[in-house]
Amino acid sequence: MIDSIAYPLANLLLLFYNFLGHQTVIAIAALTILIRLLILPLTLGQQKSARKMQELQPKIAKLQKKYGKDKERLTQEQMKLYKEAGINPMGGCLPLLIQFPIMFGLYRAIMYCVPTTPLQLFQFSQHIYKWLPGVVGLVPLQSAFLGMDLGRPPTMAQWWSYALPALVLATSWLQQKLLTPPAAGDDQSQSGMMNQQMQIMMPLMFGLMSLQFATGLSVYFIISNLIGIAQFYLVRVNRGGEGTRASSSSD
Amino acid sequence: MDQSWMRRWPSALVVLALLLSASGCTGGAAQPTSWTGLTVVGERLYAADLEQVVALNVADGSPLWTFPDDPEGEKRGVFHVTPAVGGGCVIVASQVPGGGFFSQPRDIVWALDADNGSILWHFDGAAGQYVEGGAISGGVFVIGNSDGNIYALDVESGALRWVFETGHRVWATPLIVSDIVYIGSMDRRLYALDLSDGEVRWVFYAEGAFASTPVLRDDTLYIGAFDDRLYAVDALMGTERWRFPGENWFWGGPVVYDHTVYATDVNGNVYAVDAETGEQIWHKPLDVPVRAGPALTGDGSRLFVGGQNGTLYALDTADGFMPWSRESEGQALSTPVVSGPVVYDAQINGPYRIRALYVDNGREVWAYPPVVEGQE
Repeated sequence: MIDSIAYPLANLLLLFYNFLGHQTVIAIAALTILIRLLILPLTLGQQKSARKMQELQPKIAKLQKKYGKDKERLTQEQMKLYKEAGINPMGGCLPLLIQFPIMFGLYRAIMYCVPTTPLQLFQFSQHIYKWLPGVVGLVPLQSAFLGMDLGRPPTMAQWWSYALPALVLATSWLQQKLLTPPAAGDDQSQSGMMNQQMQIMMPLMFGLMSLQFATGLSVYFIISNLIGIAQFYLVRVNRGGEGTRASSSSD
Repeated sequence: MDQSWMRRWPSALVVLALLLSASGCTGGAAQPTSWTGLTVVGERLYAADLEQVVALNVADGSPLWTFPDDPEGEKRGVFHVTPAVGGGCVIVASQVPGGGFFSQPRDIVWALDADNGSILWHFDGAAGQYVEGGAISGGVFVIGNSDGNIYALDVESGALRWVFETGHRVWATPLIVSDIVYIGSMDRRLYALDLSDGEVRWVFYAEGAFASTPVLRDDTLYIGAFDDRLYAVDALMGTERWRFPGENWFWGGPVVYDHTVYATDVNGNVYAVDAETGEQIWHKPLDVPVRAGPALTGDGSRLFVGGQNGTLYALDTADGFMPWSRESEGQALSTPVVSGPVVYDAQINGPYRIRALYVDNGREVWAYPPVVEGQE
């Protein structure tokens, strides 16, 4: 299943590698940009949803005052409010969830192109699109980057490689913070708690995965997160400073 | 929707990620990441057989010794590489998996007493995995590593003699002839190094990675590469004599007999090529992925090729005719070994690890470990 995503991604990686100076990190960056472009409608929808959520914050605060002691009623009223506004409170999670199969596919694609075990490489040998220009003889791609091996997890021998999981954690947190609707006051509703957990758990999860997986995947995470952050600010500028976080009272 | 689940699902994702990390997504020891390697010397067959190194009696497949005796308790790691035998010792390598987020796997070369499997020395100075075995000559053991280095160790003591750095992973077994080491690297180069000090004699450049062992005939080396070509290279000068195009990578090492070179590509094509001119003599598609190179009988009359489908194919060298093939439920990714009237092949993910078959008709002599009736 994942291989049906991984093989095309791996071949795209080879193509970018061939045309972008035989630099593995640049090829991963190019592939990341392409993936971000493909999921752009989703991420823009996420930002739109977050903005609407922010606009509802005064109303949510009022509901909290009114039904603060009755959690069940509060949740019902909030859901009603969201429904009227045409917002799915879990809509912010969708781009993240859709990224999971792509992420695992890309991870496997990197492991095929910068393999650490011969079985991975042998498996991929049957799935190279030889009709793509210049891909014959490319595999395995150059794996060295700043003294690290892009096909292996961070190691103590290259202690600086642990900077990558740290950067993944930081950029994931920032992106999550920007794209998650701010909570209204002491929002104890389901979606409010879930969003608060997401802000912590998702970056933590990506950081932990970066510790265990090939550093090439960390490169993807970091570039993808930076693009997400840049996208947030670009959309905000285009809307004349009206951003999700710009005037958040909860920060 | 259930409220408690709503609250907990991000936490559940973290747990899922941790489970995935621990379950072999990073290439842990639970599943083979490479293949069993075989070497036959005299009446003994040595195999780096995942959990253990085993020495078997070639007559009946009975174990003579194993290392370690208790794989679970001793935790020596996973053994893959083809054992090198010489100077009274068997030299293998293993990878001991790391545990936890900050513990890295350790890759170790082990020299074992060929008679009883006891440890003579070990070397853990490399930073990457050993994929293929090394070669012994003149008291020196030479092996490539995924850290991009070629290591030369003293066979007696395990002391490091020299290290040669290449530009990529080294997954090929070297060929040592007199005082020269010929070894290919994933950096697309075939190196000729001085055995005594690792100094470069010459370098041959291809357009794809080298992961196989060259074979020498007279003064010509034959070796395949990941650019889908089989090369003939002048062994003295390192210059190209001819190149032969295949359909896909040449991963397994070729063999040569008289005036013919036999090679396989990973698409499962077996080629017989004129050693002088590089012209194709015959071509036999097996229609199954083939990782390893062929093995040849002593009289050069028959070839053996293992397929990913677990089948061992016998081919006549005269015309590629297939007199027999023998199926298995595993994967035959190692180069078979022929010794006298018997061919030995190793399997992964199958009911047994090693089997011995008669060269003439493919009838089974023995299998190791023996398959228990009803458990196959």
